[in-house]
Amino acid sequence: MNVTRPARCLLCSFSRAATPGTRVPRRQFHPTPASLTNRKPKFPNVKSSPGENFKPYTEEQKAELAKQYTEAQMAAINAGEAAIDPKDLADQLHERSDPMSFKYLDDFSVIEPGIDHHQRAPLSNSDFKFQFKNNDDFAEDFGRFIAEMPDDATGADFVRWADNLRVTKGKEENELNAPSALVPDFFGPGETIDEPSVSEQKTAAELGVKERSAEAEEMTDALKSLLLATGYTERQVKDLRTKTLVMHSVTNQTRLGKVRRAYRLSIAGNGNGLLGIGEAKSDEAADAKIQSQYRAIRNMQPIPRYENRTIYGDVKGKVGATSLQLMHRPPGFGLRVQHLIYEMCRAGGIHDLSARTGRSRNPMNTVKAAYEALMSQRNPDQIAHALGRKLVDVRKVYYAGKV
Amino acid sequence: MSLVNLSAVCSHLNNATKARLALTSIPNSNLHLKLSLALQNSGYISSVVRGGPTPPPAHPILGYPAANDEVEGIESITRDNVASRRLWLGLKYWENESVLGKVKMVSKPTRRVSIDVEALRRVVRGEDTEFVGGIRSPGESLYLSTDRGILEARECVEKKVGGLVLCRVL
Repeated sequence: MNVTRPARCLLCSFSRAATPGTRVPRRQFHPTPASLTNRKPKFPNVKSSPGENFKPYTEEQKAELAKQYTEAQMAAINAGEAAIDPKDLADQLHERSDPMSFKYLDDFSVIEPGIDHHQRAPLSNSDFKFQFKNNDDFAEDFGRFIAEMPDDATGADFVRWADNLRVTKGKEENELNAPSALVPDFFGPGETIDEPSVSEQKTAAELGVKERSAEAEEMTDALKSLLLATGYTERQVKDLRTKTLVMHSVTNQTRLGKVRRAYRLSIAGNGNGLLGIGEAKSDEAADAKIQSQYRAIRNMQPIPRYENRTIYGDVKGKVGATSLQLMHRPPGFGLRVQHLIYEMCRAGGIHDLSARTGRSRNPMNTVKAAYEALMSQRNPDQIAHALGRKLVDVRKVYYAGKV
Repeated sequence: MSLVNLSAVCSHLNNATKARLALTSIPNSNLHLKLSLALQNSGYISSVVRGGPTPPPAHPILGYPAANDEVEGIESITRDNVASRRLWLGLKYWENESVLGKVKMVSKPTRRVSIDVEALRRVVRGEDTEFVGGIRSPGESLYLSTDRGILEARECVEKKVGGLVLCRVL
């Protein structure tokens, strides 16, 4: 007896008809639809004869039809008859009964905004600077209509003009073929809600280039010395990923009173293995930020990365009361770390990592400890040298270096 | 098998590497000797020589005491000198870093940790088990006391033996 079936009265089973099997399995915990259609028919030798309902018209029927339709329509009917095999109709023209069939009848010739793929109104149609016409504009339009009116004008001309009269100034498409709320503007590839569309970005970049070239003439001394020290071009410095992670003010107590200054700690990286941190203090917050970023760029050092995605082994770092542990992780794991370390990983180009920050979680010390931990990685080649043994990366060996 | 003495040896090795010593000595016992030889096999230390209270003379070519020194030789153990024997270990350094990073006991004198092959397989792959953490860093080793002597964890997996987990070297 099947344990999962509830116990029933023994006599009941005689009186009841055999339980019809459920046509669709009740519990579908998997996305694959039940393959009902693939079942073999119960009686494979019994088939509905193809073409039974789709016989060609007889001559009599055609004569009847000719009374209803024009010659051109009859020609179309005959052409259709000749073009389509009745057997194909019998095979293909039937209601679908498979699980993926639609629950409603539709010819799918119309795009439904909520159901179908979104149809965008062309971006070029929108014009955000449109204005409604005022009375003077309408008067001007009417004056133009009067001036261009032919000699034999009728009332129909006026009606046509009134129908085509626009009520806004600006792009014509914006009024006549405006983006609809029913057909919402979904984002195109590479487009976000904050940023303009790709075409607009291009113009912005072009504009930016011009501004930058103007800026280049008034390059600051700090930037000049940075470029001199690092050998980077201004373009390369701009492309580096810098982020200010810690910002607070510090106070120096003198006999004149408290002297407050702004403290900033920034990181800089190229997203591909270089990472540096820099800190700066200044009376001006903006100045401290720039200084710390430039120092971070100067301090950039290569961080060892395993397969350019994670670290070699688990490492620990400790600064002050902040002690943390960075752990290597398999491909696709992601960065499951706190935000400060996350930013450092993004800047340094580490993609799989997890971290545990014990004891204090002071932001400044966390960044420093994470940097220390990243730098304290031991290179397997050096370990092999030190031990005097041959160390082999098994992943590389198994996958022929294609990992 | 005294884990108390072994713990003292581990601490002593840590202190000696921090002090950048080239040669250090630990009390002589069979356990210490076998563990030292296992460490030497793995390449963490350069030499293991049984000697007296003073360091044995250096090998003329190698520059540190060697067990296979034909000139000096090794004094055999007698009933008289057995109490004064010590193991002299040559420590290694590479690129301003000690090769023997940190030696840490896994079993404690009050709690001995044994592990079977199944769990050891997971440890070697880097997964944590109940009492033994995974080997997750390059150059990390775990030493076990087994029926076949003191072996590294990977050797144990190869030979399919489990045992008492002694110490972890990073």
